[in-house]
Amino acid sequence: MSSTRSGRSGRRARALWFFPVPALALYLFFFAYPTLQAFQYALTDWDGYSATYHNVGLHNLTRLATADDTFRNAAENNLKLTVVVVLAQTALALGLALYLVRTTRASTLLRAVFFLPTVLSSVSVAFVWRFVYDPDGGLLNSALRAVGLGGWQSVYLGNPNTAVFWLALTQVWFHAGQMMVVFIAGLQAIPRELYEAAELDGAGRWSRFRYVTWPLVAPATGIVLAYTTVQSFKAFDLVLGLGGNPPGPALDILSTRVYTTFSNNQFGYAAAQSLVFMALIALLTWVQRRAIRRATA
Amino acid sequence: MSRTLDRSLDRRTALRLFAASGLGLGLAACAGPGGGSTASGAKSSALATSGTVKGTVSFAHWRAEDKAVIAQLIKAFVKKYPDAGVEQDISPSADYQTTALRRIQGSKTGDLFTAFRGAQFEQIVKAGVYSPLTGTDVIAKYQASLITPGAQKGVQYGLPYQLVFNMPLANTDALDKAGHTSAPTDWDSTLQLLDDLKSKGYTPIAWPGGDTANAGQLLNTMVMNNAPSDDMFTKIESGEYKVTDDWFLTTLKQYAQLTPYFQARATGSTTDAVTQLFAEGKAGLLAVGSFQMAGVRALGAKFPFDLVAPITTTAAKAKYQGVFNTTFILGVNSASDVQPAAYAFLEFLSAPANAGTYANGTGQHVTVEGVDYTNTDLKAVAPWLTKKTQLAPRFQFLNLDIRTAVENAAVAVVGGKKPAQAAEEAQRVIDQKRS
Repeated sequence: MSSTRSGRSGRRARALWFFPVPALALYLFFFAYPTLQAFQYALTDWDGYSATYHNVGLHNLTRLATADDTFRNAAENNLKLTVVVVLAQTALALGLALYLVRTTRASTLLRAVFFLPTVLSSVSVAFVWRFVYDPDGGLLNSALRAVGLGGWQSVYLGNPNTAVFWLALTQVWFHAGQMMVVFIAGLQAIPRELYEAAELDGAGRWSRFRYVTWPLVAPATGIVLAYTTVQSFKAFDLVLGLGGNPPGPALDILSTRVYTTFSNNQFGYAAAQSLVFMALIALLTWVQRRAIRRATA
Repeated sequence: MSRTLDRSLDRRTALRLFAASGLGLGLAACAGPGGGSTASGAKSSALATSGTVKGTVSFAHWRAEDKAVIAQLIKAFVKKYPDAGVEQDISPSADYQTTALRRIQGSKTGDLFTAFRGAQFEQIVKAGVYSPLTGTDVIAKYQASLITPGAQKGVQYGLPYQLVFNMPLANTDALDKAGHTSAPTDWDSTLQLLDDLKSKGYTPIAWPGGDTANAGQLLNTMVMNNAPSDDMFTKIESGEYKVTDDWFLTTLKQYAQLTPYFQARATGSTTDAVTQLFAEGKAGLLAVGSFQMAGVRALGAKFPFDLVAPITTTAAKAKYQGVFNTTFILGVNSASDVQPAAYAFLEFLSAPANAGTYANGTGQHVTVEGVDYTNTDLKAVAPWLTKKTQLAPRFQFLNLDIRTAVENAAVAVVGGKKPAQAAEEAQRVIDQKRS
């Protein structure tokens, strides 16, 4: 009797190996296969539609490392965007979460208000902010003129030195509410007893934040930082909406650079750019995770 | 049944299965590009012009603003051919420019499709998507001199349908008030016109410097007389000319001279914003093109139009008065299952009466012979059909990065950069992109 039962459960256990197959097949076909293909394409000069191509070895990678100012410019823009967005968005989202963590009618309403931009499409957001930034009849310059600060009017996206920071502002407005929700979930998971104990020990507001909130909200911070970093690298549709297609050098980031290279029918070179793009995101995420681990240790 | 399944799926077998499929995918990925559905069939096949006109034709294009007029034409087409239908597949122009080839190549989209003159047309020809039209009756319906951008090496692949003027649109009421009833003939009279417009309170030129798609339209007329040859941008791409050459530096210096005549903070302006400015009667010129006439009217403008190009040389040296372009190149897809219907729709659009409906309804001139223009704006700029104009040089660029670098040099100069520095920076990108 018992040997029959163990035989059945053994068969059942073996059958369990079959369950991940559909998911694994999808993963292999739609993720692993294209990724492997990108490696192969990166070693060719394929134009995207011809039957023929040449193997060029590492030429594409050496070219983008040594002789492509447009790629370097896009990487610089992307790093500036990422640093500003990660810092500003994380700080703003955490600040909002701290103020709205208690569930009251007012905070529920405000959470909804701050979360609202997240549900909009990138194209709509870009359209709205193009109007905000327009130097002639745009909202910002009109408002400045109306309050007598006409001298502060700016060209916004038309200034190559500052355009990427205005893009960052839009990105922060777009996603801060979403990250606020992640922080609220993290803050609500912190046991109240810890705050009470800290208070009994005489900890002030800053000390409670530094020694209770900050270490215990670290997992949520990790998620927010990683997600925000990836988001900043992939702000593709927002950039095209604000900067046109292809965007000018001031708003060109890595994702739009890869897209423009594809559009130029340089599939091999674009694949090489994609690989570097992927490696950069992976590296930054790894550095962030280590930094968080150290900061909260 | 379940026993068989259990036996074949022990852990070791499952792992072998996963490893084998991973290896298979790896090997497949390493098989190399170019093995797609039609990538290997890059030779254009003969066009089936005869046969029963039936089936649904997918018409791929980028003119969302023409949708209603084209729908009206489709209705008439279906009345003539009850077994056929046409569905419009519309993408925004910038997206169409970058993605159309991959969408129409070997797919069900774009039995009849359009292409931009220049890089996109060249790529579609190279990919073998066109069914050549050489020898078909439809070609005779077009003005021969205007359809050469749809041909390559003596083969007519497509038929440019629209005839547009990529030069500033003028508010002639404003020009009259400024005391100018005729177009400038040299650089001095161009600057005089702008000065007079400014003194009358107008923004002399509304220019969308923040819109990469349209900021470069002005460059067409700025180089048409300055350049040493008509194929100046082809030569910049080939390396024969450089943007640091005198003629281009002169052009950039002239952009610097134009800066006070643009609206304030012009390098950040969008096409929508400057079109609004012009439509409100606050600007003398709108530096986009004749294709913007319908858009300006839609915003409620009542004043009459003309076209005015900046003449950048002396009158004696000016070869051209303006710039034109033939685009919206219609072609039949070699992979189409409904070629007779697609060709029939092409023929239908090419009939003078139908081309007239399109032209008058959309505010675009067409390349079809014998069209009667009844649209007031088209009539107003019709004299430009016989003036000395150059085929828009901007579309000679085949590489987007080189085009952006050249056009951005002009934007940078308006933004305050020294012409020589802007040219050097652009040339560095061009040299890298050519290699």
